[in-house]
Amino acid sequence: MAKLTIDDQEYEFPDGTSLFDACRQARGEALPHFCYHPDLPVAGVCRLCQVEVEGMPKLTIACNTTVRDGMVVHTRSERVNKAVQQVLEMHLINHPVDCPICDQAGECGLQNQYMQYGLYESKVPMAAKVKKHKAKVIGPYVILDQERCVLCSRCVRFCNEVTGTGELGIYNRGDRAELDVAPGVELDNNYSMNTVDICPVGALTSRDFRFAKRVWMLKNTRGVCPGCATGCNVRIDHEGGRVYRLKPVYNPEVNGRWMCDRGRMTYKELHDERRLLRPFAGGREAAWTAASVALADLLRDGGFSLVVVGPRASLEEMFLARKLAPADAVVGGPADLDRGEGDDLLLDGDRTPNRGGLKTLGIPEPAAADLAARITAASGPVLVLGGEPGRDAGVAAALAGCGGLVVIATHDGPSVQAAAVALPGAAWAEQAGVFVNRQGRWQGFAQAVARPGAAREGWRILAELAGLAGVETAPQSLRALRKEIVDTVLSEGELDMDRMPETGFVPGGGER
Amino acid sequence: MKEYNILSSRFGRPDGHKLAVYEQEGGYKALRAVLEQNDPAAVRETVKESGLRGRGGAGFPTGVKWGFVPQGAEEVYFFVNADESEPGTFKDRFLLDYDPHQTLEGTIISSFAVQAHLAFIYIRGEFGWLVDRVQAAVDEAYAAGYLGRNILGSGFDLEVIVHKGAGAYICGEETGLINSVEGRKGQPSIKPPFPAVAGFLGKPTIVNNVESVASVPWIITHGPEAYRAFGTEKSPGTKLFSVSGPVKKPGVYEIPLGLPFREFFHDWLGGMVEGEKLKAVIVGGSSVPVLPADEVMNVNLDYESLQQAGTMLGSGGMIVIPESCDMVELIQVLMHFYYDESCGQCTPCREGTGWLHRIVRRLRGGEGTDADLGLLEHVCNGMAGLTICPLADAAVMPMRSFLGKFRPEFEALIQETAAAGAQTRWPRGEQE
Repeated sequence: MAKLTIDDQEYEFPDGTSLFDACRQARGEALPHFCYHPDLPVAGVCRLCQVEVEGMPKLTIACNTTVRDGMVVHTRSERVNKAVQQVLEMHLINHPVDCPICDQAGECGLQNQYMQYGLYESKVPMAAKVKKHKAKVIGPYVILDQERCVLCSRCVRFCNEVTGTGELGIYNRGDRAELDVAPGVELDNNYSMNTVDICPVGALTSRDFRFAKRVWMLKNTRGVCPGCATGCNVRIDHEGGRVYRLKPVYNPEVNGRWMCDRGRMTYKELHDERRLLRPFAGGREAAWTAASVALADLLRDGGFSLVVVGPRASLEEMFLARKLAPADAVVGGPADLDRGEGDDLLLDGDRTPNRGGLKTLGIPEPAAADLAARITAASGPVLVLGGEPGRDAGVAAALAGCGGLVVIATHDGPSVQAAAVALPGAAWAEQAGVFVNRQGRWQGFAQAVARPGAAREGWRILAELAGLAGVETAPQSLRALRKEIVDTVLSEGELDMDRMPETGFVPGGGER
Repeated sequence: MKEYNILSSRFGRPDGHKLAVYEQEGGYKALRAVLEQNDPAAVRETVKESGLRGRGGAGFPTGVKWGFVPQGAEEVYFFVNADESEPGTFKDRFLLDYDPHQTLEGTIISSFAVQAHLAFIYIRGEFGWLVDRVQAAVDEAYAAGYLGRNILGSGFDLEVIVHKGAGAYICGEETGLINSVEGRKGQPSIKPPFPAVAGFLGKPTIVNNVESVASVPWIITHGPEAYRAFGTEKSPGTKLFSVSGPVKKPGVYEIPLGLPFREFFHDWLGGMVEGEKLKAVIVGGSSVPVLPADEVMNVNLDYESLQQAGTMLGSGGMIVIPESCDMVELIQVLMHFYYDESCGQCTPCREGTGWLHRIVRRLRGGEGTDADLGLLEHVCNGMAGLTICPLADAAVMPMRSFLGKFRPEFEALIQETAAAGAQTRWPRGEQE
């Protein structure tokens, strides 16, 4: 341990701690910075995190200094503030100050730090600034504005060190230096949009989010990416019932600070034109009441003879679905559907968010051919939810031949087309729930946006179906349902679902 | 006026670069002695005792630097820095052109001292012919058994690679140089770690200036006391000064450190050419503060005296400035140089060198105001001491000293051009 003094207070930090991190903890806020990033190697080029260390003649940058016993550090002295202000001014002299048309405005390191440390008049007339390229498309998702770039090299280091793809470089020298891709190269790795996140200014912006919304109008809700079994923690940025973007949220146990581009784009499906907005009964749009009548009619002679619950359902939906038929008549979607190639960073080969939930509840996943056979052999009504099993042609054919098919779906598809009754369910951002990821980690998510049309929360639909099917133990609230899940699946007192840990919960505490 | 020949005995001789001549004059004897004794620590100690200080500009004791290589390091690299690009400096070029074997022998001994088995001689890109000259010397040395495996039967191996730079000033900074050889962009790395601990390929690496390395064989042969007999207590030995400007005898001179400038100027350089009067001197390369005539006449040419006078010995690239020279024009040339050569990595240097360059250009273009002089000082304050390497300081030091010592010239220009109106004034012989 090293005992040191930061701004006249004594602190103790483990040996090897970066002075930058020590100052962040001591001050309760980070030192001004652009280039430092906790997950990237130190570059030391922005020169903003200058601190005064007693006994050293010059100011020193905290990011490339480790704590030392007996160190006396000043982070708010006049000398430090002056240096920060001067360096910040250097960052701005060739900056175009086009904040009114910049997507970064409102979450920009230059704006924020200028308000804190700068506040001076510009000494360089606009016309005298160095001109570089603006709005240069450098990849499928990322667009570059070289004039706004402060050359912190975070994105370059990300592509070199994290993805190992090295698409970006800083070319030329002096104030002609500019960020770019090499000729013929595209920034097209599956993690390219993380460069937009770590860009402290508006140099790299998302082509998808560009000009869509001012960031200060967005509301944020914590969520879990539904794109694959990794379950990256996300912040859902939304406004007025519309999701505008997903941003990764730090979870050291799951995704660190990153997420993949594929995952980021999953929000598009929420506003897809194929969304199922109203119930359908007998091939026609119907009100919920009419649909209920049709369901009651269908279930008059008893419950479902088969329930197919896919890996896109929440743990709550899976648990309730399990009550709607005898244990051996509840199965998962086709085991071979929604598989792709994974990588060794975050993307998993399993492109569904909750196969872990099926495993947790012991719901078997038959192969597509077996599932088709089970559907064909079903003697009574069949319920399908939590995904579209009909994307397998064999299963689709079996569903089409099924007499009493009930489907809870978010999107139109083969099973909806074959259904006697189709019910519009809530998609992942439109209801609260739990996904169990590939580690067996339970991760809760909240409702971010309103459900479109007449769509309803999945657990409510299932509770109603349970009533119609004569199941007596259907819970009346989500909280009651969750308590029942915990009591059934976990040991007593293992988890309070209202206080799910930030990093998620692994039953038994260990790796699975 | 006495002659000093530790470094310059073969300067100007048409065959001085040949192995036969070098051997005939006692060459490679120091290497034989060192390899026979077979004690690297003793070599390091000898050089440390000699007080030899790095001749590239920083003046850090060479033997002490060698001592920073971690004990027992298995893979060590040695670099000879011949990226001589400081404006006003042309001494290393003389050393390599007239006497490459002296530097080569120094390289082998130095490599042995730090137990490096691969050495690079990094030559500035513009010195194309020097690459051939040094390569020829290296080839001769291989053929004679001074390089390669089991040198002179000692069991010590050393390969030498002559590496040609691409002409970037910043690659003379040791970490920039290493990055450049590794195939990366030629720009300095943050320190720590220092190259002596983690340099080329992450291994301990020593980078020494040509002149430092070339001094080593003499120190080995004659002993540290003999070396200390020249120069002053804290600045021992002799130093090459490359002198340019309208003096009667410009050129490269080897002088004992501590020599009074007055004596050097009158007795060695012969004073100014007819019709010119001394105005100022940049003593140690363009990056050090300028001294006006009356100040420079009272200094001695050693590290301490020059520091006391507010400047630095630097690389010994002495630029003599006559009364007829316009100081604003001169600083325009220098500011353009640093603007052009900044690697662009650290913000204060990247933006500051460009800003200084543009303000000075504006002054010269007749659009300057008195406020610009304050602005120049302001920009300097935002650069000095705030960057990874000293390039920002190297731009700030001349700028500040020109403004400080010759402010009336700046003010006169502003007044004069304000009357004449805006026009572009390039420095002589230069266009953008």
